[in-house]
Amino acid sequence: MQLLISSVCMALTSAVIGNAYYQKQQFYPAVVYITKSNASMAVIYIQFFVIVFMFGKLLRKIFLGTLRAAEFEHLLERFWYALTETCLAFTVFRDDFNPRFVALFTVLLFLKSFHWLAEERVDFMERSPVLGWLFHIRVGSLLTMLGVLDYVLLMHAYNSTLVRGPTVQLVFGFEYAILLTVIASTAIKYVLHAAEMRTDTPWENKAVFLLYTELVIGLIKVVLYLLFVVIMAKIYALPMFVFRPMFFTIRNFRKAFNDVIMSRRAIRNMNTLYPDATPEELRQSDNICIICREDMVNHAKKLPCGHIFHTTCLRSWFQRQQTCPTCRLNILRAPAVNSAALQRPVDEAANPAAPVVAQPAAAAAGVNNIPGATAAPPTAGAGTDLPMSVPNPMGQLPRNGVAPTFADIFGDANALPNLAGMPPPPMLSPFMMQPPFPYFSPPSVPPPPMPLDIDRFSDEELLAMEGTQRKHIEERLKMLRNIMLMLDSSTILMQQYQSMMARLPQPTEAKPTSNVITADEKASALLAASATTASSSIPTAYDKPTTSRAASETSLQGAQQVKRATAEKVIIEDLGAEEDADLPITATITKTELEEKIVAGADADDVEESSELSELRMRRLKYLQERNHSPTDRD
Amino acid sequence: MAGSALRRLMAEYKQLTMDPPEGIAAGPISEDNFFEWEALIAGPEGTCFEGGVFPARLIFPPDYPLSPPKMKFTCDMFHPNIFADGRVCISILHAPGDDPMGYELSAERWSPVQSVEKILLSVVSMLAEPNDESGANVDAAIMWRERREEFNSIAQRLVRKTLGLTT
Repeated sequence: MQLLISSVCMALTSAVIGNAYYQKQQFYPAVVYITKSNASMAVIYIQFFVIVFMFGKLLRKIFLGTLRAAEFEHLLERFWYALTETCLAFTVFRDDFNPRFVALFTVLLFLKSFHWLAEERVDFMERSPVLGWLFHIRVGSLLTMLGVLDYVLLMHAYNSTLVRGPTVQLVFGFEYAILLTVIASTAIKYVLHAAEMRTDTPWENKAVFLLYTELVIGLIKVVLYLLFVVIMAKIYALPMFVFRPMFFTIRNFRKAFNDVIMSRRAIRNMNTLYPDATPEELRQSDNICIICREDMVNHAKKLPCGHIFHTTCLRSWFQRQQTCPTCRLNILRAPAVNSAALQRPVDEAANPAAPVVAQPAAAAAGVNNIPGATAAPPTAGAGTDLPMSVPNPMGQLPRNGVAPTFADIFGDANALPNLAGMPPPPMLSPFMMQPPFPYFSPPSVPPPPMPLDIDRFSDEELLAMEGTQRKHIEERLKMLRNIMLMLDSSTILMQQYQSMMARLPQPTEAKPTSNVITADEKASALLAASATTASSSIPTAYDKPTTSRAASETSLQGAQQVKRATAEKVIIEDLGAEEDADLPITATITKTELEEKIVAGADADDVEESSELSELRMRRLKYLQERNHSPTDRD
Repeated sequence: MAGSALRRLMAEYKQLTMDPPEGIAAGPISEDNFFEWEALIAGPEGTCFEGGVFPARLIFPPDYPLSPPKMKFTCDMFHPNIFADGRVCISILHAPGDDPMGYELSAERWSPVQSVEKILLSVVSMLAEPNDESGANVDAAIMWRERREEFNSIAQRLVRKTLGLTT
């Protein structure tokens, strides 16, 4: 096709020239003849365009080789837009429309298309597996050549505007200035890409550099366009032909601006909110960043949900979305507390239908009043979710983040001292108020502050609980008080489950109903198991959660019993062992102990207080272990 | 070192070649360009698409895996979730921001932990169980819902066509 057109053109031109010579016989008259005849001139102009086109092809062959399909497509698309705009520009300058003017615009278009191609090529660098030295030579020389040409033409336009006042050169000067910025950004990108290619490790800050380049170049372009529009509007008319590119430039600039802001925010969050993943954590996970599918050696971050990624991968993702890539936990809303890890949302693989983050804030707000307020889980709103959504957290607990210190745990628990004194029933009302989602949003209460593995206590902390001195006993009391708190909150939980049970129809009526009940029973069994200690005394109903309603009622009654028991108090004269008799402490081991005694069915009077304390300690340890293992057992 | 998108695509290609899931084959069309893949999907057993081998093309964006690829069947398809031109309409291929159909849960959308393999597996399950609510091809959706036999026979014809058997 192209060959045909060019050969036809060639033939026409030779015919025109031949005809002129045939008629005039001499060079000069023949030239005059051709220039006087419009038809001949048209042929000559077309020939001129064909030559330009062929020259362009030649240059392309030299500097770019063969174009890829996508490159060609983009080139064509942009070319047509540019051509339309050029035609629009002609309307503004219709007074000085002459062949020279057309030639200048042709050169401009010609150069523009090479700028686009260079841009595409450099963008392609990042995506191409192997690049030879030929590529670098080509791109380097092309960029230099285009830069020099742009500069020369810009200076020419500038000088001619200075000398002759504003003419059409104003447009060219401005266009070449824009092209210079394009070349500048392309060159910067090229240097960045090339620098990255030279190293064997991914260059982490490249994305940031690119972002800032984009921002600065975008700003320069926007300023240039605005300046141009103002000048043109003053001297000629509104330059319609720059509106489209100006619009795109402003849009790109806005996007770059937003990107920079988001990126900065992401980096800030990354540096402040999320801890670096420790080598053990990396070893325990499979050590592969699931975003880039590469090993994480260092520079890995752990999100509140426990997922670990490369810092850079996370940053580029957070620029778009502030969610965990794996579980879609909204990282901006989730507080970065250790215990947040306990409320790990269901992975979509495990439960694709579960409303993962979609719960209204109201539910979460209501939940906040209750024990684990610091860990208000974003998913807590989904009532049925709660028991089911703990498939792995406990197992992974040890590697979740900075090991919470002793003080942290107690800080959590002590933060809610009035809870113990607060009568549970009033707590119910806010939950009773919101039954908009019949089965899915029943009050789900986060578990009380999670007691931690004993392994986690440091030696000093353990010592603090074991010794015989006054402060040791104080530590013990503290610990016991925390257990009491937890039991209190369990009571509240049970209350709520009970009230929920009262509202529920028969389990056989609907599938979700039985689902909820099972969940309740699981929870209550868990609670009961934590309240009781010796496994021998656990009622069989708690051994495994059944679906029968009777069983759940039993557990509820048990809870009631526990509650009634809380009204009483037991004063223990001598808390410690015999050896610290010199410290007469009147400790108030209240509800906790009594409850435990009642549920365990043990006769309190028969037991020596000193042995009781050590037994309590044992129970505590057992309880902790149970807490840590029970979820996995249930799975 | 090449760009991160390229490295990730290479890793995925390697993984898909070493450990290919059943009924799925995929890889770059040419080793020069890792951003265009060809995939072959076997029609899931026990469905009207059983026995067919459907070729599709995957186009990856330069910022993959932050943005999802585009997928397009290159053979004739008649399915409620495939546009007449072959484009596949499933939520895993949609970025969380945009919601063309206005019903998708964000949990089902694209995220960088998804992969070519997961996409193709989703497409297989989409072939097995069309979602007649999203309706990329409304005719197919209506036919699937109301005149299942007719839909099955069209699907069977397409299956034979992909195998090169003309009837």
